[in-house]
Amino acid sequence: MTKVTINQLHKDDLPWIIEYDESKCIKCGRCSATCSFGAIKPAIEQRVKSGSISEKNKLEKVIVIKQEIGFANHCRGCGMCERVCPNGAIRAVRNTDDRYSIRYRSETAESVKKGGRSNLNTEGRTLDKIKVGRISQMTDPSLDALRHTFELKTPFGRVLSADKLGLNNENGKMIETKTLPPNRWIYPIIMGDMSIGAVSWRMWEAMAIATAYLNEVCGIPIRMCTGEGGIPSRLLKSKYVKYMILQIASGHFGWNRIIDAMPDMVEDPAGILIKIGQGAKPGDGGMLMANKVAKYVQEIRGVPKADLLSPPTHQGLYSIEESVQKMFLSMNAAFNFRVPVAIKVAASVTSVSVYNNLLRDPYNIVGGFFLDGLAAGTGAAHEISLNHTGHTITSKLRDCYKAAVKQGRQGEIPIFAGGGLGQTGSFAADAFKLICLGANGVFSGRLLLQIAGCVGNDTERCNACNTGLCPAGIASQDVCLTKRLDIDKVAQNLVNYILATDLELRKLMAPTGCSSLPIGRSDALITVDKNVADRLDIQYVC
Amino acid sequence: MFNNKKIVINGIKDNDRMSTQALLQLIEEKVEEGYTDFEINACGQHDIGGSSWNKEGKELNFRITNPGQRVGGMARKGTNIYVEGSVPADVGWLNSGANIIVNGDCGDTAAHCAASGKIYVSGRVGTRSGALMKYDPKFETPEFWVLKNTGSFSFEFMGGGIAVICGYDCAGIKSVLGNRSCVGMVGGTIYCRGPIQGIAKCVDVIDLNENDKQFLTSGMKRFLSAIDKKGLADTLLDFTEWHKIIPLSTEEKTKKISVKDFRETQWVEGGIFGDFIEDDMSVFELAATGKGRLKQPVWNKEQCINCELCIKNCPNDAISKTEDNKYLSSDDKCIGCSICATVCPKNAWTMQNNKKEIS
Repeated sequence: MTKVTINQLHKDDLPWIIEYDESKCIKCGRCSATCSFGAIKPAIEQRVKSGSISEKNKLEKVIVIKQEIGFANHCRGCGMCERVCPNGAIRAVRNTDDRYSIRYRSETAESVKKGGRSNLNTEGRTLDKIKVGRISQMTDPSLDALRHTFELKTPFGRVLSADKLGLNNENGKMIETKTLPPNRWIYPIIMGDMSIGAVSWRMWEAMAIATAYLNEVCGIPIRMCTGEGGIPSRLLKSKYVKYMILQIASGHFGWNRIIDAMPDMVEDPAGILIKIGQGAKPGDGGMLMANKVAKYVQEIRGVPKADLLSPPTHQGLYSIEESVQKMFLSMNAAFNFRVPVAIKVAASVTSVSVYNNLLRDPYNIVGGFFLDGLAAGTGAAHEISLNHTGHTITSKLRDCYKAAVKQGRQGEIPIFAGGGLGQTGSFAADAFKLICLGANGVFSGRLLLQIAGCVGNDTERCNACNTGLCPAGIASQDVCLTKRLDIDKVAQNLVNYILATDLELRKLMAPTGCSSLPIGRSDALITVDKNVADRLDIQYVC
Repeated sequence: MFNNKKIVINGIKDNDRMSTQALLQLIEEKVEEGYTDFEINACGQHDIGGSSWNKEGKELNFRITNPGQRVGGMARKGTNIYVEGSVPADVGWLNSGANIIVNGDCGDTAAHCAASGKIYVSGRVGTRSGALMKYDPKFETPEFWVLKNTGSFSFEFMGGGIAVICGYDCAGIKSVLGNRSCVGMVGGTIYCRGPIQGIAKCVDVIDLNENDKQFLTSGMKRFLSAIDKKGLADTLLDFTEWHKIIPLSTEEKTKKISVKDFRETQWVEGGIFGDFIEDDMSVFELAATGKGRLKQPVWNKEQCINCELCIKNCPNDAISKTEDNKYLSSDDKCIGCSICATVCPKNAWTMQNNKKEIS
């Protein structure tokens, strides 16, 4: 017998316990062959051969499947073993008595890192407390979601008030007296914002294909944000780059290739997003662990194989004013002021100040304000940031919108809201409610991974994106794992999900009598929660 | 008309306008008394000519001037209505078999929900005309003939019946069906002559076949004769400018190229990562063999005691032994479960990580 001491790591310290039924196991080995974490392995155990007295102490060896006990290869509850077992002999069961968070820190002197979303869920979910309560019946005609024509488009780019447009009437013709800021009418959902590196090449390309397909085949002008991990030159030089919002974050990864590709680009990109912060880990820069920095990631990003920790801020920027004068100006100049440039920040108690400052931008080069709430996902973060920092999206979006309304400047810098959308199953409802509260559109990343087959959830399942051992081949750069992902199926599922969401958005617009996006139409919303009603300034009902 | 009892009713007398209720109740009273021919000089009263019948099954004939809305609304088979001059909204609303002739223009929603009978209009009809027309196979197909054009949103949700829009006197009009017509159309046929624009995506615009031409030829004669415009036959029966509009089936409406085909035919050739990665996009199943294995066994001759436990326990019969006692694991059979390495008493089999980065 091996010695057992109280201070060594035990199975019951871990967050997931493998439940194994030896009587059903046919020793086919499929579970251990499949587990990307190496969390289960075949092992030899001894059994008493028979119960008779004469055979006492006669033992025989049998093959069993055993859980590995360790920090590097503990079970994440992904459930792949259960999927491949022909007999239902094995499954991962959540350990409600685990001591992992204490044991990991006390053994390794490291902070806990993970991917996914905040797993605490202490803040509740405001959007689920809101209903669409203003239904057109006799007051104004309701519409038919299936058959009427809806205009699901929102501006991306700086919108000027009528008196600042500089349009003159000359002999009955409208003349532009100055160059107007670039503006694009796009679908109110922006996909992605996940870098090459954070997700596998197949996942990233599937998103790009789905985006192109939705535009070209379905006529839905959806855009994808690239995230900051570089962009393949082939995409930059293809016509499909017009559906891509190029991201620049504090790492500035891959921009040399973008600059290099410029003379060969046949289309302008859809926009540029300056990422200052993200909702999942506000105050932190991007984080890509070395085991995901594959050779092609090294090339595109111009870095060696190492943990890539982007700085928490753009190092050349010290204030909001400077970011406008320097970063916005440079990014506008990059494509000769033809491409709208927006900014993404994590929602924060300071967001209104930032938005107000941007609204005062005298050069009209701020083309969008992306506000990311704390329920957003990430490929890798310190758990402490994921669970304990950030600001909920709903009230902060509302604050920013109302700040603009107060100045009569709502809509001048379109606001896009994200962070945990679709978390409880209804992406379209979340999007619609945020739009009614003042968002011009929404963005989503984490949900796309779940559509692609990610099994992670917000109650500690999997969330191992940071390890590069993603069992679904989504957040991995490993060949064996990435090739588990069916690029066509993923792209088709993404397309289908957006088509379903499009229909569901119309199912919400129709009864409210809106054939165009109800941006800021908070009169359409009600809540039975008085605090929510007061904070968001929507109707309290009971 | 011989033997028919005829009556003239004036909707306005001594500057005193009858209410719709009074007029309709008076008509009903006269129908009960056996009157079959009505000349009604209305003053905007609604619903004239609707839902009445003669007890002996005789036809009811209405000649109407200046009606209000829903003239011929809910009219039954055996009712003939002729309106001199234009009418406001909803003429022939829920028509269940009447023949209605309007010698003039019609307001909005003409022929709305018409389910049988014929509606002939010698002018233009307003917005949402022909909306929700339907066809019940137990009754005659409803027909809706318009000499000129319709307003926008016409034939919304149309479920059956036939509409003929002749496009006469429409010079300079961009679309004889207005804008956004046929939204939600699921059944029926529309024939129209002249340009059409902004039509809903759920329908198909096709050329006429011989049956269509035959139908239009015979129907046109009856129509033109009813509105007293026989002279237009040659112009209107020149089929070069006619179109036929029919709804697409659900399959046709949702028919799209698959994303896989899109990737293979329209996407960036060789994939956007083609410069870095050779990827044929084939998919590894879970517990795959060959290159899809996460781990693969490696045999070490020095350690092997030739006990064959690995051969006996390999679940996939992947391990074999050569004559000179070399052990081989077949890449095509092995899934990398590591049972061989587990049962080997001497560590002759070790598992090597097959996971690798793309290069």
